[in-house]
This record gives sequence, structure tokens and C-alpha cells, in this order.
Amino acid sequence: MVNETSKVIPIQAVPFARSRQAGEAQTVLDHIVDDFQDNPESMQYFYDLFRRVYCQGEDVPHEGMLVGTTCIQAPEELIYAFGATPMRLCNGSYHYDQKGADFMPSKSCSLVKATLGMLNSELVIPKIGRPDMIVNPTTCDQKKKSSSMMSDMGYKVYDLEFPNVKESEASRVYWQRSVRQFAVQLRELTGNKLTRKNLKEALNKTGRAQAAFRKLHNFRRKSPSLILGKDAFLVTNAYFFDDIGRWTAAVEKLNEELEQRDKSGFKAVQSRAPRVLFTGSPPIFPNIKLPLLIEESGGVVVTDETCSANRMLYDMTAVDEWMVSDMVDSLADKYLKPCTCPIFTKNDDRRRRLLDLVESFNVDGVVYQAFAGCQVYEMEYRSIAEEFNKAGIPMLYVETDYSPDDKGQLSTRIEAFLESMKNRRKRRA
Amino acid sequence: MLRLESIRTAVNNVQFNRFRFWLQLFFFVLLVYGGYLGIELGKSLPTFACGYNKEGRGGMCYLMTLQHQMEWPWQKLFSVAGLTVLSTFGIFYLWFIALNKGWCGFVCPVGTIQDWITSLRRMTGIRYSRYSWGQFQWLAQIKYVLLALMFLIPLAIGGGWFQKDLKSPFCMICPGRTIIPLFSADFSQLSIDFSSKTNMIMTGLGLAVTGLFFIGSFVKKRFFCFYCPMGAFHYLLSKIALLRLKKDGSKCTRCGDCFRVCDQEIKVIADDVTQKEIMTDDCIMCLKCVAACPEPGALKATFAGIPIFASTEEGFIKRMNKGCSDGK
Repeated sequence: MVNETSKVIPIQAVPFARSRQAGEAQTVLDHIVDDFQDNPESMQYFYDLFRRVYCQGEDVPHEGMLVGTTCIQAPEELIYAFGATPMRLCNGSYHYDQKGADFMPSKSCSLVKATLGMLNSELVIPKIGRPDMIVNPTTCDQKKKSSSMMSDMGYKVYDLEFPNVKESEASRVYWQRSVRQFAVQLRELTGNKLTRKNLKEALNKTGRAQAAFRKLHNFRRKSPSLILGKDAFLVTNAYFFDDIGRWTAAVEKLNEELEQRDKSGFKAVQSRAPRVLFTGSPPIFPNIKLPLLIEESGGVVVTDETCSANRMLYDMTAVDEWMVSDMVDSLADKYLKPCTCPIFTKNDDRRRRLLDLVESFNVDGVVYQAFAGCQVYEMEYRSIAEEFNKAGIPMLYVETDYSPDDKGQLSTRIEAFLESMKNRRKRRA
Repeated sequence: MLRLESIRTAVNNVQFNRFRFWLQLFFFVLLVYGGYLGIELGKSLPTFACGYNKEGRGGMCYLMTLQHQMEWPWQKLFSVAGLTVLSTFGIFYLWFIALNKGWCGFVCPVGTIQDWITSLRRMTGIRYSRYSWGQFQWLAQIKYVLLALMFLIPLAIGGGWFQKDLKSPFCMICPGRTIIPLFSADFSQLSIDFSSKTNMIMTGLGLAVTGLFFIGSFVKKRFFCFYCPMGAFHYLLSKIALLRLKKDGSKCTRCGDCFRVCDQEIKVIADDVTQKEIMTDDCIMCLKCVAACPEPGALKATFAGIPIFASTEEGFIKRMNKGCSDGK
């Protein structure tokens, strides 16, 4: 009997391209590419990259051992120096968010759930292969607690101890020690040695990438904008898993095109499009829901303060003496001191950073995304709102998650917000 | 206007450490060998142009002159002759105002020697050491104690409380006295004077400090500057100096890059975002912090209100070897 039915309808494994996660990525990517006009030509590299990796399930190649990271605080230069490849595991897929719901209480962060869901599944996108080690900086509570869950899944997890006060000298010293220990751990894992030469090369690698990022960042100051925020987020998202050299070259090419656009007086948006600063929980492909809604409704995201873009790539390392010890300590400082993550006790730096971005990017309004369950961002909302209130900058606070259900409701709110900014500007003019 | 802009960009993009090395070398030659070339910049220089370097000196350290004057008998010191004290101080002050603590970071021969010793250590691959925050705070007081003693001991000699043997007490323990004459082949200061108990103690102390100076500056960048009474004296007078170090806190991300390169371990430079005048008493105004700051305009050096060297993203990337291809 069983044999009979299977003869009629042979049950086969669904090819990746027809899986739910591929479908989700496909929909968002099509939207990003097809529903907007005048996409920069050099964005093709990134569109193709996401299509290959997320929609067709192509493998992401890597050199040496693979070290997964769950936060921007894991010093990737060290990983490169040991001949391994870092890969940011933070995931933005709703499919995995649902899968990961088994691990965490229902009211917890989509990002953490999606990351756990992805690590626990067979088909991992981006298809990175099994990490030889996962470094989990002890930042927010949910990431801290996911450490043991990842170990239970059979991964080798290294908890990179991260302080939760950043002003004190004690925390600086503690963190430097912690980073040095991480280097020891990497040595044991890879069997390689940390030398002056390979660490300097690694610093050059990320330095070059950061220089390219900063150039892109600076082009976004132009008004009217030369590039849309959805593309910029895609670029920085690609940094999570793309080969760093290729990524840098692609961004440099994009920068050249933007320079051309600037010279020819090109406008990616209407001159009156409200300029939005995006802050809070990070948009990670395919969850670029909120930035996309803003730009569909006629706004433009000109800059951001999130750990999937600006905070990840902006701050650069200065070294006084190019010796291993000084380079490692410099790296440690760079990953702690300028960080504006809300897990710290105080958020003065985040507030100052936001105000500086508002001013230097000629921003009309701020959109603050907090993932439902991301307590630290929810808790910082009040102080940030007060700060913008004082400065007279309108801010929209959006609590959301990876589910597409609230799109309709959100789009109404965003349209109203953008409308109010336009009116405000008219009144001022 | 465009020309001025391009000059400004060129200056901000300068390979700062190299530039500073050559400038320091120039001033070193000027102050240590200037005498052979007939250069005489007077006896009121606000930097360690050591007077014991009798033939080579191109000028003289004001601290030496000051201590001599303070040793005058009180009847002389507090008479019309005392006006000389004021006039020499006036000349010292004018010299000082021009460069502020830039005298320490760019001109001081003892500072330059320490930077050379640092380069030597760098070549050996040995790492530098730092004070802990607690040590830093209490050791930072020493320079004021030395400054106070430098005034009080000579005054007490003039008042008849102390013997003449204790004259120029700071010079006796200053590493400049023992080391700088060596550059013009004068080794006479490297000895202990057994003529009296006081002389023996002071010259012995001087040799001990010299030893400490070599060891200290080998493991610690600008070891001696942290204790230098001249630095403390500078700071007390720096209110109206022309060369200034300024910070725009609103542009600062507190990344701490400036603190990382600071030879004097000054935390305020990175952490303080409210103060506009950011020079502290420990600062030697070497301006390395400005060169290591990636935020445009966050740190800058101004001269008489005109910005002469400001932090820029482009300059930072160039200096930190960023933006170049791998391994080059």
C-alpha cells in the first residue's frame, strides 16, 4: 500500500530554492531590487551575492578554520591573523525566528531566536558550513544565555568575557585581558602563531574595508541622497559573510559610482524626501522590513546607529607601536571604548553619537527600532527620546519583530511620521 | 583660498611621527651643539638646554638661572636687583608663550633623548609598560613637590638656613646635567663630588637618577617628563599661551585612539567631552593624539586661535596604514 502511493506521488526532498527560507529571502530581495528605480549598477554584486547565497543556497567559501561570531565585539582581526575566517552568525530570517522559539521564552529577541534556530537546523543560510568555534561575547542577557544552548547543539563555544561598564579603568584592563585570552584560545584552535606580520596584515585588511565603508558613509551625507538606505544595509549585511577582500573591492567600486553620481548631480530620491536616521535593533537581511517601509513611503534612510552597519564598521584602530602586544591592546580598546551598545550601564556615548549623526547628516527625523524582547533597547528608549525632544528632533519608536504581520500597521505609522516631517519642514521654510 | 585649503590638507595628512622626528633632531642640534655655531639664545629658555654643557649649548635652561637667582641673599633679592629676576622671568615667559608645552614635545633635548631610547626599545621588540591608574594619580604629584623644593631650597640658602653646597638642587638631580654634556664629550658630570657630605649626597643622587632615567625611559615612554618640574611650571603659566590643544567633544566617539598613542597616559584626552582646552599638566604637547584621531576636527592644535593641525579621517587612514592593500 505504502509503495503504491509513493509510486504515484514520489516524495522527494524539496530543493533549497523552493524551501521556505529561500522563499522569504527571494521575496525581500525581489522587492529591494525590482520595486525601486535607479539602483546603482555596482549594487549588482551585492544583489547577486544575496541571491546566490540566500535564495539558491550556494556555499559561502572560506579560508582556514571558520569562527562564528555572535556580536560585533569579537575582534575579527585576531581571527584573520590566525588564518581563520570570521563569520557573523546574527540572523534576520523569520523562518529561523520561529524555529528558534523552542529555545527562548516567547517574549525574547527575534535576532537571538533566529540565530539559534539557524544553528539548530540542517540547512543553514547563509550556507557557511559548520563553525569550528563560536565566539560569544557576553553582552546582553539573551546572548549570554544562548551560549550553553549552542554548546548543547554540539558547537564549540567560547565565551568572550565582556564588561558591562565601559568607563572604568578596571573594565578596560579586564577586557584587554579577556581579548588576550581569546588570542590564546585561537592559537589552540588553529595551531597557528600570532605574529607581528600576520596581525598587521589582518589590521590592514579590516582597515581597508573600514576606509571603504567610511567613504560610503560620507557619500550618504549628500542631500539629496545618492544612494538609498536599503542598499547600504545590504552592503553592510554582506560584510557578515562575504570574503573581506572581495567585499572591500565591491564597496570601492560602489564608491566610484557614487562619486560619478555626485558629479552628474544625480538624485536617488526627491529633494524633499525626509532624511531619516535609523537606530536601535539591527536590520539584518531578510528582515529589512522597517528601512524598506520608510523608503517605500518616500523617506530615505541616510544613516544609522546599529550594530549591523555603522557601529560594526565605523570606529578604526590606532596603534602606536606595531608590536603584537600593543596591537592586541589597541584592538581591545577599539572594541570596547567607542561601542554604543545599550548593554552598558550608561548610554552617554550613544546619545552623543546620535546627536552628532543628526547634525552631520542633516537628518529630519529618527526611527528607533526595538525588537520585541530586546530589553536593553526598550529600556534606553526613554532617555534617547528625552534627548531628541530637547533637541527638537521628531522620533518614531517602533516595537516590532521578524514577523511580517504588522507591516500594514507599521506602514500607516511610518507614512504619518514622514508626512509630519514634510509638514514641519514646510512650516520652517 | 583654494591654495590655503590645499596647504591645510597637506599638513593634516602629514606623516606626523616622521615630521616630528626631524624637527626634534633639528632642535636637539640647535640646543646641544648650537654653541659651536655661535648661537646663543639666552639664559631663559623654557626647556632643558643644559647649562652644564658649557661649550655646545645654544642657550640655557631657565630653571638653572632661576635657582641661581633664588639663592641670592635676601637683601639683594628683595632690592632693586630683584628686578633682574622679574626681567629674566619675563623673557622666559615670552619664550614659553609661543610654544606652550610644545617645548617639551618638540624642543626639549632630554625629551628627545627619551624618544630615541624608546625607538631603541621598539627595535628590540620589548613592549612598553604603563602605570596602573592608581599609581598614575599619586605619582603625578611628584613634579609639584620637585617644583616647590626647587624654589624653597634656594630661597633657604639665600636666607642662610642651608649651606651653599646645596645650590641648584634640581640641577644636581636632573638627568640633563649628567647626560647632555656627554654629547659634547664632557664626561665630568658623571662623577661623585667628595668635597663635602652634601656634595657627595647630591652628586650621588644625580648619578642614581641618571641610572633610573636610562632604565625608566627604556621601559616607559617619556619616563622622566611625568616628574619634570618644568612641566608643572609650564602648566601653571599656560593660561595665555599661543599654541593650544583643543577638543570638540561633540565630534568625539571616545574610541580612545588618542589615549592609546599618548606617551604620558593621559586619560582625559579620550574621556572628557566637555572641556574645550584639553591640555593637562602631564601633557607634553607632542600632538600625537591629534595625528591619531580619526574624527574630523575632534582634536586640533591652534596657534593664536588659528588651527594649524587638525585631526582628519583622511590623515588618520594615511598614517595608520589603512586604505592600502594587504601587507604593504
